[in-house]
Amino acid sequence: MDELEQKLLEVKDTSELMVDLAYSSLLYNNRDIAQEVMELEEYTDELNASIQHEAIKRAMADGDVSRAFVTIKLIESLEGICDAASGIADVVMKNVEPHPVIKMSIRESEVIIATATVVEGSDLADRSLGESRLASQSGMWVVAIKRDRRYLYGPDEGTTVLAGDTLIVRGPKDGEEFFKDLASGRARLT
Amino acid sequence: MPRTVREILTEMKDTSEVIVDLAYAALVFDSQDMAEEVQHLERRMDTLLYNIRIKAMLSARTKRDAEQLAGLLQVASSAEAISNAAGDIVNLLRYDSDKRPFLPIVLKEAEEKIKSLTLADKSDMANRTIEELGVESETGMRVIALKRGKRWIYDPETDSRLKAGDILIVRGTENGFEVLRSFASGERSWPQYPTKEGA
Repeated sequence: MDELEQKLLEVKDTSELMVDLAYSSLLYNNRDIAQEVMELEEYTDELNASIQHEAIKRAMADGDVSRAFVTIKLIESLEGICDAASGIADVVMKNVEPHPVIKMSIRESEVIIATATVVEGSDLADRSLGESRLASQSGMWVVAIKRDRRYLYGPDEGTTVLAGDTLIVRGPKDGEEFFKDLASGRARLT
Repeated sequence: MPRTVREILTEMKDTSEVIVDLAYAALVFDSQDMAEEVQHLERRMDTLLYNIRIKAMLSARTKRDAEQLAGLLQVASSAEAISNAAGDIVNLLRYDSDKRPFLPIVLKEAEEKIKSLTLADKSDMANRTIEELGVESETGMRVIALKRGKRWIYDPETDSRLKAGDILIVRGTENGFEVLRSFASGERSWPQYPTKEGA
């Protein structure tokens, strides 16, 4: 994969994370998660502009207009998804308690999204995901890791978690508490 | 057609999630069937949005109602906008596949991969529904659709019991896929959680 394709993929992964986060922000009426969606929206806007720019530049160099066209079409669709996600999160940012029916509709599905920041001294810190075996211990799968301002998507068993990282996980509701306790150091791995 | 605002919004939210997965799956598998299902869902979302607007307006009594319902309609519009984007994605299938060869390749590299697997005769997943098994909480994999013979079943969560020979179209990480594959092939049996029974 070249650089342009990697960027395209990053936008796709981000758009999915944004939709997940947006619905979660509504479910918990959580402004922090909603704010995260807003920031990702700005980030993807920049990325989208640079992809479109690059696609056109390439078409002018190699004459492959179709490829640039398909790329730009896809980017527009992805941007539509990102915009919609921020439209959902925007409801949380308003100073009006979301309508109770919204929460019922985003009913507690089988799987939820949770986030937690790993503190110094947590069993999750300075270990790879393979070493801590977070997924089998808590049922929560790490979707992304936020480190400073960057997101690492789809970390694998070899990815090391650092203190200060925010983990975005997906899993059963009953795994959430243990996961949060692990991250904050209140609970230990067995 | 669902009747209450709650029922409509629930369907719209669920559809907005499954429709994007289906759209990518249509590109990865170059499937006109899946593309048509996406277009069908997109049209249904239009109707749902129209109906929820009317119902929401009729139910506003106070200024506070109106403010809350405005937010609710914003969620519904956003869900519909997601389905429009999914519809636009499957429209890319109209272009010759040699003009979009990189799309399936790129999508296959995505973190959450879309893959297919076949349920083996000896797998104990057969004769149970995806919901009963709790496939997503056990493996992190979401079942987007399944193919039984020539027939496609979309959003198969609760609807049907799995059968040996079913082809499952799933989405999730590589690790999750390996776990699910070991169950679907019958290599491992589906875990039992006695304490959860009847919960």
